[in-house]
Parts: sequence; C-alpha cells; structure tokens
Amino acid sequence: MSATADIDDAAYTARRAAHARRKAMAPWLLMLPALIIVLIFFGIPTLYMVRMSFNLHIDQRLYVPGLTFEHYVNLFSNPLFTTAILTTIKLALIASLATVFIGYCFALLVWLKPARWRLLFIGLALAPLLISEIAIIFGWWMFFPKNGLLSYALIASGLVTNKVSLMYTEFAAFVGLVYVTLPYCFFILLSIFDGIDKRLLEASADLGATPFKSFREVMLPLTWTGILVAFSQSFIWTMGTYATPSALGPDTLWTMGFLIQEQMLGKHNWPMASALAVVLVIGVTGVMVVTRSMQSERNNFHV
Amino acid sequence: MTAQPALELRNTLRRFGSVVAVNNVSLSVGKGEFVTLLGPSGSGKTSTLRLIGGFEELDGGSILLNGQRIDHLPAYQRDTATIFQSGALFPHKTVAENVAFGLRMRKVPKDEMAKRISQSLETVRLKGYEDRYPAQLSGGQKQRVALARSLAVRPAILLFDEPLSALDLSLRLQLRAEIKRLHDELKFSAIYVTHDQGEAMAMSSRVAVMNTGSIEQIDTPETVFHAPSSEFVYTFIGESCCLPVRITASGVQDKKGETIGIVLGERLAEGDCRIYVRPSRLRLISDAAALPNRLTARIHFIEFLGDVYRYHLKAGALELAADHAGSIGKSVGDVIVIGWRTEDMRVFR
Repeated sequence: MSATADIDDAAYTARRAAHARRKAMAPWLLMLPALIIVLIFFGIPTLYMVRMSFNLHIDQRLYVPGLTFEHYVNLFSNPLFTTAILTTIKLALIASLATVFIGYCFALLVWLKPARWRLLFIGLALAPLLISEIAIIFGWWMFFPKNGLLSYALIASGLVTNKVSLMYTEFAAFVGLVYVTLPYCFFILLSIFDGIDKRLLEASADLGATPFKSFREVMLPLTWTGILVAFSQSFIWTMGTYATPSALGPDTLWTMGFLIQEQMLGKHNWPMASALAVVLVIGVTGVMVVTRSMQSERNNFHV
Repeated sequence: MTAQPALELRNTLRRFGSVVAVNNVSLSVGKGEFVTLLGPSGSGKTSTLRLIGGFEELDGGSILLNGQRIDHLPAYQRDTATIFQSGALFPHKTVAENVAFGLRMRKVPKDEMAKRISQSLETVRLKGYEDRYPAQLSGGQKQRVALARSLAVRPAILLFDEPLSALDLSLRLQLRAEIKRLHDELKFSAIYVTHDQGEAMAMSSRVAVMNTGSIEQIDTPETVFHAPSSEFVYTFIGESCCLPVRITASGVQDKKGETIGIVLGERLAEGDCRIYVRPSRLRLISDAAALPNRLTARIHFIEFLGDVYRYHLKAGALELAADHAGSIGKSVGDVIVIGWRTEDMRVFR
C-alpha cells in the first residue's frame, strides 16, 4: 500500500515540477514576438553597423572590407568630429533640461487642475504628435524668418522696431528640439503624477510645510524617477535627431546626426558614418546607465 | 464666559458653484472635547472639516482657533492636524520620518524631536516599526502612523476625516476603541467626521448630526439618540420602521386608503403622518397584547441576525420589521399582533 502511495507521490511531484517549468516559460513566450522583432530589426543591423565601422575606406568607394581603427582614431583626433560631439551633447543637454522643466510644469498643472480640464490639456499635448517632424519644420519656417509670424508678433507687441529673423540660429534649433520631445516628456511625467495621492500635498501642508517645502520634500522625491526617465528619453532623442537641428540651426551647427548623414551620403564614407553612429549609441547607452543608477532603489512608491 | 473653546465656527459658509455645501454652520469645540460630525454623504461634514484644516476657501463666516481667527491663514500656518481617510502617509519616508515631518517643519529641536517620535509611536503601539515604509504596513497600522504623525505635533485640534472607513469591520472596531482610549488618556480636542453612527455614538462627547450643509442637532450621543430633534435625526441614528398613515375620523388608513388594523393609545390629530418605531422596541404576540399600541400584520419573511430574529411584516401597504430574541414559533404567512409602548413611538407630520 505504501509503495503505491510512494509512486503516486513521485508522479505528483513530477507533475508539479512540469507545471512549474511551464510557468517559468510563460514570460519568455509572451516576450517572444517583441524579442524577435527587436533582434531582427535592431540587433542584427546594429551588429552590421559595428562591423562596418572597422571597414576600410579607399578611393571614394563606399567601403572596402577590412579591419582598421582609423575611423575611431580620426573621430577622436579630428577637431571636426570632436567639436560635433561636444556641440551635440551641449544642445541635447540644454534642450532636454528645458523640455523636462516645461514638461514638469505642464504635467503638474494638469495633475492639479480639476478633471474636466484634463482632456483639453491632453489633447493639446497630443496635437504635435499628429504632425510629422518634417511638417513641423515647415511650420517653423513660417515662424522664425524675417517675414515670419514671430517677427510680426514682436513688432505688433512693440518689443522690437525692426523685423528680426531667428531662422537658422542655435536658438531655433533648440526650440525645434524642445517642441518635438515635449509631448513624450509630458506624458511620461503625467503618468508618474497620476500615481501620486493628491492628499499627500494636503497632508504636507497640514503638518506645516510651506508650498516650497512640500515640493522639495514630497513632490520632488516622488517624481524623481519620472524626471530621470523623461530626461533620458529626451536626451536620447535630441542626441540622435538629424532633421530638426539641421533644418532650423545655422550651417555651422554640425551635430553628430548631421555628420553621419554627410559622411554617409555626401562623402560616401560608410565606415566613418558607422563609427560615428557607434559612438552615438555608446554615448546614449552611457546616459541610460547613469540615469538608471540615479534612480532611487525604492522607486515603486505607488505600488 | 466659560473657558475659551479650542475651536469655534461662526456662520461658516462654503459654496461649490450653486451648491451650498456648508450652510451657516456654527459650532464650538471645548478644550479636550471630542465632537463628531455625523451625516450621510453630501451632508457637508467633510467640507466643514476641510474648511477648518484650510483645504477649502471660506465663503462666509469665521473660524477661530483658541480665540484667534485662522480663516485667512493657509493650511501650513494653522495649528491643526488632519488624519485623512487614506492615511496620506508619505510613501518615500519611513514611519519615523513620517512622524518627524511635522516636527521638522515646526523646527522642533533634535533631541525633543526624537523623544516625541518615540512617544507618539508608543502611544499608537507601533514601537519597533520606525524603519518600515508605509507599503510594508497593513491598513490599520497605516492609520496608526497617521494618528501618531498628527499627535506628535500637538496641534490645537485634531481633525479626523473618516479615518476608519477604509478598514474592515473588526479592525474598525478595534481602532475605534483605541482612539477612544487615547482621547481619555491625552484629552486632545478633536473633530471627527464619519457617516458611521456607531463610531459617532461610541467616541463622542457630543454628536453634530448634519444634513444638506447644516447641523440638524448637536448634543450628547444619549440625547441625540433618545430625544432626536427632527425626523431626519431620528431616522439617521439607529434603525427605525416608518409607517406612513392617514388618520381619519373613521379609522387609520394606509397610503392606498385601506383601513388597517391598528390600535393607538393616544388619539392623533386627523391628517397624514408618519409613525416611527425602532425594531428593537416592538413586541410580538403575547408580549404585545397588554400594550396600548397594537397592529395586526402578516409575516413577510424572517431573518436570523444572531442575537435576534428579525420579522419583516406587512400590514396593508405598511412594511415594518420587529426584532425578537428567539423564535416565536410562527412562520411566513402567519398573521400576528405586534405592540409598542407610546414612549417608544414618534410621530412626524
């Protein structure tokens, strides 16, 4: 009798183990479609790109298979490229900081306002996403030049007497970048705000905290993760983007995106363009690692 | 004049658009007094509390704390402390940091602060939980921390905003007793908002029953229960059966105009009225025979409530319920006589 029981126990244990294995498999199975897409359309091309960056560039041919570090050496020794890297980082940093600041204020406002305003604000924030980046650039072309909307508005308001043009300035590039990344930044931050109990602000005031203290002690720590995520997504975007800064900025604004394009299409130097892109990818990864490490370990407060 | 009250509301008014949420409420809370604002949702009790805490703008009247007007001050300058329904603990701070928050804002010295934190955590029996985060606490523990956080700053008045309504029944009863014990011990002044009449009765020095933005009655729990000033107070506090009847020269009719078998000890004036009796005060069959007020009714259904059986009865269009300890040996469909004493009955017109 006990022998049968032992066999049953063994069979039961085996079934339990099989079930546990199936359960452990489930997340991977669910991830599989996305994983396949990411690997085929992002992973493999990236590997090709890395390989390409070590190829030779001889006689105006697009590339010649080989192995050289020449492009990387060139990249970090030629002032043309080092300046471009610095310019890109500077522009991305300033634009991202501004984006996060504006997005934070906007998201805070939407969060604090009664629900009936919410849809309107969210609609406003969504609007730029309905238009392609190229169409937005055309819009800026109507806005910034000497005979543009901005110029007329400034004259009408009496702030300036002569027509001004901000077209093809670093400022225009900066505004363009902020405009493109702001909606994403806003929605990331709003989702974080929505996880916070508004009563916390009342509780904080109730215990004697001034609005500034409440912000510093309660709002900022609770939204810190959101700020970092919004910043890094904004930074990644502005680092890599090509169209907006080259269409709105001055001819001398050579960003990495611009140089990659120029090396690829103008100079027919695919390995150099790839090397630039690899550095860009590594830089962006670095930023992600840094912001990730700046997140508090207990960042799941709302759960 | 007697001693200065801890808190005084004078004709306070609060409108939301065209709705008057708080309509001319005047209220005075003595030092060490525990006053409950009791009312259904939308009666203005929470709005009144939020006016005191400074989370709503006053549209009229004045609020005095220890004799000083505070209605012009922002919430962070008022010496009040609120215990919110959700607890509203800071999720990124530990229990000790939560309790310390108000003390830090009030710039209490370090050593005094440490003393008060351990003291107030001891008061709510949460010693040893200092380093936990709110997410690691149960619902009841969270509310205890909220209470400790408010007690630690020693406010002129504690404001409770339905602090127990999110908890399950047994925990609610347990914390209710604990708040009562703390009040007996510490003698803090408090306003307690609730829609639970049991809480109001059990804890309060005085109960203010609110309805549609006004206080209907404010008195000791006993008086509010036994001598309600209005039909609303009577029906809101305790269970009651309502018998809407028409008294005519030929007898008592239900609202359909059919004569019902009711005997009343006192002659009531002719016309429509509503007779109220509490289910616990109704007597059945043999117990009813000698009572001055009697009604013949049919058993509709019977509920077993543990301590008592509740007989749901119908007489014409009238419906009522009567509690009886133990079974009376009758079943659904049987016609029985119920009776009640005249002092247990209230008539409103």
